[in-house]
Amino acid sequence: MLILDLSKEAHKMPPQTLRVVYSAFRMAMLHWVADPQWVIPNVIAPFVFTVVALTLFRTDPTGQFALYAVLGGGMMGMWGNTLYSSGFAIEFEKWQGTLENVLAAPSNLMHVIAGRSVSNALLGLTNMVAILLIAAFGFRVSLGVANPILFAVSLVLTLLSVSALGLIFASAFVLSRSAQVFTNGLEFPIYIISGSMFPVFVLGPFEPVSYVLGPKWGIDAIREAATYGNVSIDFWKNIGIMLLITAVYIAIATVLFKFVEKKARRDGTLVEA
Amino acid sequence: MSNLRIFFSSAIFSFRAQFSWLNPPMWLTLKFVLGLSQMAFFVFVGQYIAQGQGQDPSKIVETIRYIAIGNALQTVAWNTVFSVINITGHDKWDGTLPLLLATPASRLPIFIGRAMLHVLDGMLSVAINFVFAIFLFGVNLGNADLLALTIAVILTAFTMAGFGLLIGGFSFYFRDPMVLANIFTFILLIFCGVNFAVDQLPGPLQPVSWAFPLTYGINAAREAIDGKSLIAISPWLGLELIVGLVSILIGYIFFRSFERVARKTGRLEAV
Repeated sequence: MLILDLSKEAHKMPPQTLRVVYSAFRMAMLHWVADPQWVIPNVIAPFVFTVVALTLFRTDPTGQFALYAVLGGGMMGMWGNTLYSSGFAIEFEKWQGTLENVLAAPSNLMHVIAGRSVSNALLGLTNMVAILLIAAFGFRVSLGVANPILFAVSLVLTLLSVSALGLIFASAFVLSRSAQVFTNGLEFPIYIISGSMFPVFVLGPFEPVSYVLGPKWGIDAIREAATYGNVSIDFWKNIGIMLLITAVYIAIATVLFKFVEKKARRDGTLVEA
Repeated sequence: MSNLRIFFSSAIFSFRAQFSWLNPPMWLTLKFVLGLSQMAFFVFVGQYIAQGQGQDPSKIVETIRYIAIGNALQTVAWNTVFSVINITGHDKWDGTLPLLLATPASRLPIFIGRAMLHVLDGMLSVAINFVFAIFLFGVNLGNADLLALTIAVILTAFTMAGFGLLIGGFSFYFRDPMVLANIFTFILLIFCGVNFAVDQLPGPLQPVSWAFPLTYGINAAREAIDGKSLIAISPWLGLELIVGLVSILIGYIFFRSFERVARKTGRLEAV
């Protein structure tokens, strides 16, 4: 009878991976609620950059540039926060004194960091809300979304792609003492390469570098859904490429995390590093 | 003599302290990557807008030049504002604040000294980023009055360090000065005529621009690059100096006031 009851409970529970991801997501959200000042530095730069861009764009009669500024500002918010959270993913556990517990738990380390990465990308989107308000009330820009459903779909998928890239950064940063420095040093170059605020053809010979970034394809899809009610085949092409690249990110992150976890358990130096 | 020794000790230790978290190769990486990528970002935005509006090539070049020069000068803020404000943060995180306040040393040289090596570091940042502006974005210094430009950069670094000390003094009252360091480093991009002229800001916001020494410094440097002499740009430099000195004075008042409150309440790290 007891066994039967337990199996019923097991059926109600989500698969273990999702449960771990969700728990980490929830914990990260609670941390932000408890100590919200940490999110401020990560949205300041994207916010200021977007306000500067909007000021530069205000002479544009077509309104096309304003769309770039607002959507790009949201994208940069996601980037900034994800990059930051990746850089500090392990550092934060050290500060809290919970790293040993996380490593000793039977849960996969990557799933824990994944939950945190998604929560941080989501928090980065607050920048988009702030920018929308500034654009609407400060700059009198009217911004309509032509296809809200596909806009939401492409936004969520891009958020997942950013989170997946954050996993790669997190695993790489674990191996370095200078994660914070990498985080600061990579923030602006990624804003440029991802074409968040301008089309990547502006980059000239460096344009191909942006093709390996899933979120580059995501922001293209988001712009298309925001502009056209009936999206073209390019929208689906962008989504398809982004999903493919995201799958590659996850595969790379899985390998890297296995290496990091093994190294941490073998050397026992991660906590002191 | 004793004050001079305190001044130099404060300058050296405050600068060296940042290497507890930043190793020298990474310091160099940041020095070369951060300013360049910030400059490139805004140059690309400006170029895209100018091209999209069908501006003629000479106007596009002028836009790129304007943005590149502004951002090259704004990089001084990373050292003189961001790093200087974070000294306060590190004093709190690293537990050195009680030791600092327990020492009988005169407070003024301690307070001003902590920013001084960051001033030199800031000048180096500006020089590096001017090289980027010249070789990557085609900024031409052919007409520049180099003496006037050099003095404008030196004075901007000093006065912005004064501004950093002001916010750093204010930051003693906050648990995490890093938040203020981020805010006050980045808002300079909006207010100081870095990417667009101050008169493009909404009217009510324009007076705010003149509270920052960088606004005067950028105007002075732009005029020096256009060939104006030191005498011709001296009104900008005079105003910049006044704003910088007032900033240091107010910052020092904050610092002493914090010290009094901290001694009275015994809450040094989070008054």
